[in-house]
Amino acid sequence: MRASVICCPPGAEAVRLQLPVALRREEVYRYMGCPQDDPTAAALLDVCEPELLAAVQPRGTWRVLFRQDAPEGLYLDPGDVGRHLVGCDRVVLMAVTLGAGVERLLRRYTAADVALASAADAAGSVLAEQAADELERILREQFAQQGLYMTGRYSPGYGDWPIQVQRELCRILDTGRSIGLGVSENSLMAPRKSITAVLGVADHPVTGKLAGCGNCVLRDTCAYRKRGKTCADR
Amino acid sequence: MQIGDIFKGERYIFLDGGMGTMLQAAGLPVGERPELLAVNRPELLTSIHRAYIDAGSDIVYANTFGASAKKLAGSGYTVEQLVPAALECARKAAAPAGALVALDIGPLGELLEPAGTLRFEEACEQFKRIVCAGRDHADLIVLETMTDLYEVKAALLAAKENSSLPVMVSMTFEENGRSFTGCSVESFAATAVGLGADAVGINCSLGPAEIFPMAKALCEATRPGVPVFVKPNAGLPRADGSGYDITPQSFCEQMQPYKALGIRMLGGCCGTTPEFIRSLKESFDGERPAERAGSRRSWLCTPVRAVAVEDVTVVGERINPTGKKRFQQALREGDMDYILTQAVEQMNAGAQILDVNVGLPGVDEPALMEAAVKAIQSVVDLPLQLDSSDPEALERGLRAYNGKPIVNSVNGEQKVLDAILPLCRKYGAAVVGLTLDENGIPKKAEERVAVARRIRQAALDAGIPNEDIYIDCLTLTASAQQEDVMETLKALQTCKQEMGVHTVLGVSNISFGLPCRPYLNTAFLTMAMMHGLDLPIINPNLEEMMAAVAAFRVLTNRDKQSTDYIARYAGRTAAAPTAALQGPELGTAVEQGLKAEAAAAARELLKSKEPLEVVNGVLIPALDKVGAGFEKGTLFLPQLLQAASAAQSAFEVVKEAIARTGQGGASRGRIVVATVKGDIHDIGKNIVKVILENYGYDVTDLGRDVAPEAVVDAVKRTGAPLVGLSALMTTTLPSMQATIEALHREGLPCKVMVGGAVLTPDYAKQIGADYYAKDAKASADIAKEVFGA
Repeated sequence: MRASVICCPPGAEAVRLQLPVALRREEVYRYMGCPQDDPTAAALLDVCEPELLAAVQPRGTWRVLFRQDAPEGLYLDPGDVGRHLVGCDRVVLMAVTLGAGVERLLRRYTAADVALASAADAAGSVLAEQAADELERILREQFAQQGLYMTGRYSPGYGDWPIQVQRELCRILDTGRSIGLGVSENSLMAPRKSITAVLGVADHPVTGKLAGCGNCVLRDTCAYRKRGKTCADR
Repeated sequence: MQIGDIFKGERYIFLDGGMGTMLQAAGLPVGERPELLAVNRPELLTSIHRAYIDAGSDIVYANTFGASAKKLAGSGYTVEQLVPAALECARKAAAPAGALVALDIGPLGELLEPAGTLRFEEACEQFKRIVCAGRDHADLIVLETMTDLYEVKAALLAAKENSSLPVMVSMTFEENGRSFTGCSVESFAATAVGLGADAVGINCSLGPAEIFPMAKALCEATRPGVPVFVKPNAGLPRADGSGYDITPQSFCEQMQPYKALGIRMLGGCCGTTPEFIRSLKESFDGERPAERAGSRRSWLCTPVRAVAVEDVTVVGERINPTGKKRFQQALREGDMDYILTQAVEQMNAGAQILDVNVGLPGVDEPALMEAAVKAIQSVVDLPLQLDSSDPEALERGLRAYNGKPIVNSVNGEQKVLDAILPLCRKYGAAVVGLTLDENGIPKKAEERVAVARRIRQAALDAGIPNEDIYIDCLTLTASAQQEDVMETLKALQTCKQEMGVHTVLGVSNISFGLPCRPYLNTAFLTMAMMHGLDLPIINPNLEEMMAAVAAFRVLTNRDKQSTDYIARYAGRTAAAPTAALQGPELGTAVEQGLKAEAAAAARELLKSKEPLEVVNGVLIPALDKVGAGFEKGTLFLPQLLQAASAAQSAFEVVKEAIARTGQGGASRGRIVVATVKGDIHDIGKNIVKVILENYGYDVTDLGRDVAPEAVVDAVKRTGAPLVGLSALMTTTLPSMQATIEALHREGLPCKVMVGGAVLTPDYAKQIGADYYAKDAKASADIAKEVFGA
């Protein structure tokens, strides 16, 4: 089923995404660095999950561009992101946000209790991923109907794709207008629980290529890497 | 037509339709900045404006929607080049037909604080540039498609402070009646009209049918005399992305019900074309717009919460340092977290408005008022009552406030009225008038009413509507002036009945100097409500006071079917004195992360032990045990944080005890922490702060997005030997480096520790940090090294 359509600038599309039925807790535990179903973490999530789900208003927007029309400011060609998009003649730029309600709730938790705040922060990140997955599902379905194939998501800051492209990406999508997502001079998104990404589209099956750890800014300190895993492992 | 005519309401005023739609139809290349057309293809813009004027538009919006410095960055053009050029394109089309030209201002394209990092004053400056660039070329200013009430305020202030042009303001709402940032229609109306908007409206997002219920709410919430307008889209976007789904005829049909609402101006937004305006003109022209009843209610609001004061509305009194040592200490240290705790606690207890008083000898009250307003508004959505006698503090608070607040207070002294009423008018605030003057508090009710009359007249003369005038007839203490208690209530009743103003009383003062104060307080509160009290200023954490209000509302048939009362009290038993339950020991409570129990245990322990003994002998060993478990991997971050949080609540009890005795603290030393400029991710910094406080350090938390100079100032002010800086993103690491350089440049002897996801020990060394803290526990170890164990 299609999510409901919202007004956005010409060329882009925007939708209200369906509310996630439940939080993917197994991922939250992973983000919090504790064992699955850790009782303390579970108790914190019991408090914040219902409030987060009540506050979340996920919205997404996207725009399909031919590779040659993609503005230079996106730096799509060189490096890791270019490898991810090999063989794709089109790209989809996408952005999702959980909305200002979650942002407000997180600020309130921060003032009230640091344990709850950090659990809610992790939960918010997972909910943002869930919203991004939902939009990706919609897009994949749409392209499949046209006989097209799509890579996975690739976000600014992965590998050597600079986080600074965030601003350009959101400008092209006009995310402020369509979904209420802003980017600061330092490329920080507000509301914080938001995700932007590019996906490649082709007329033949493509899988894309995630960057791996080689160019990742976190490679020296990453907790997953120390455990012999990567952040892409689910 | 003359600009003055458009607000008279003698006939419908027709606005224009979509600009983007027309540009797209003319083949504007994808991704190109439409603002550049003013210099690249001026004739295209003029022809679009002309098409709208030919169709019947009285006012056309110039193509300046996105012409802010932020959005134009990298375009090669400035605001000062593009804004006049675009206005002249519109003028060329408008002049021959006698139509009017609006300077069209949209959002800046960057989110304001507290969600984003754009400062309110910086937003005002950005809007000022646009206003100054366009004011000599436009007939009026339009602020449109706004989604953030704070941005509306910045733009309205900029427009009013830098031009004499009328200003129309419209926001964009979603189907749930809220903007993206959660602003309600009522909050928009109260705030924008208060700030002097000459017309308020709704544009974009939805079609006429979907906008109708919101337009109705806007018409009902807006004071009569202020025109309301709408510019809906051409229905909803089609699911296949091929445009909008209704025709000019069905658009016009869907607009018919708006006639009954009393709207006076109409046009279209996305997807609408000159055809839409033409059919509106054919259908609406020649009719006189209906009169609109509008609202005479006193709204107090923040963006997400609008309170119409029509019933007893509780004002929480706890954010006030008078007689509270711990609060005074927090103010002197600029400790906003303490104030925030008080705010959240009162909100949870059911307060509907919070009084904010940060006045204390020896503090910078204006700066504190601004900081407190911003901090409280970032976490609590209750309207605020700004409580000060210092006009500068009030102005700083009023300017920073997002929504419509109430000012506490003026009195009958002319110089006070002259200083404060114009501020209330300018910033659209309601005002409390105390019935006293240079001669003190009159004894008799009639004399107090006379002062109230004078205050009311002065407020009306200043342009403050009657419904926004609140009179405080002043509670005197029953122990000292028993015979005057009823005079207060008599005066209150007369003011309300005779002048139709709202009433306020600080209630608890009644019992000063007498035992068992709650008995007197609740009785007096009930009596005052019976005499017509609207805003009792009370401690909402005292259940008997809240219960008196809840019960009063049931017994006076205001709380229909006792709904609110039942919601509050179902399943609870009335408070009765009970023997103290035996809770866990402090150490156990901390280890198990039990917050309330830890505070209670600390209180108990302080009866027999010195504060320092509690800290060093019990709290820290318990935390060490949890910390050791965390390092060994038997405990995880959630347990560590729960324990830290419980210890923090115990620490707060210890600090109160120390503040009461006035003795030196249990402090092991002072540490300044901050999330660096440009970064708003503060979870890590907050965890570090709590852990450091747990270990007995005094932490000055400068918050997030903190400029290097602010860190330097704090280190100078506090003499802290250790500074902790955090940054989450690669893009904000340079500001971490800049902060360290600034500290070094000033030759401050402090050590710097840094942390954050993208930092490495090498990078920390490279930017001149003394320590790299891999996690919160490490930061406590570093502190131990710096300060000595």
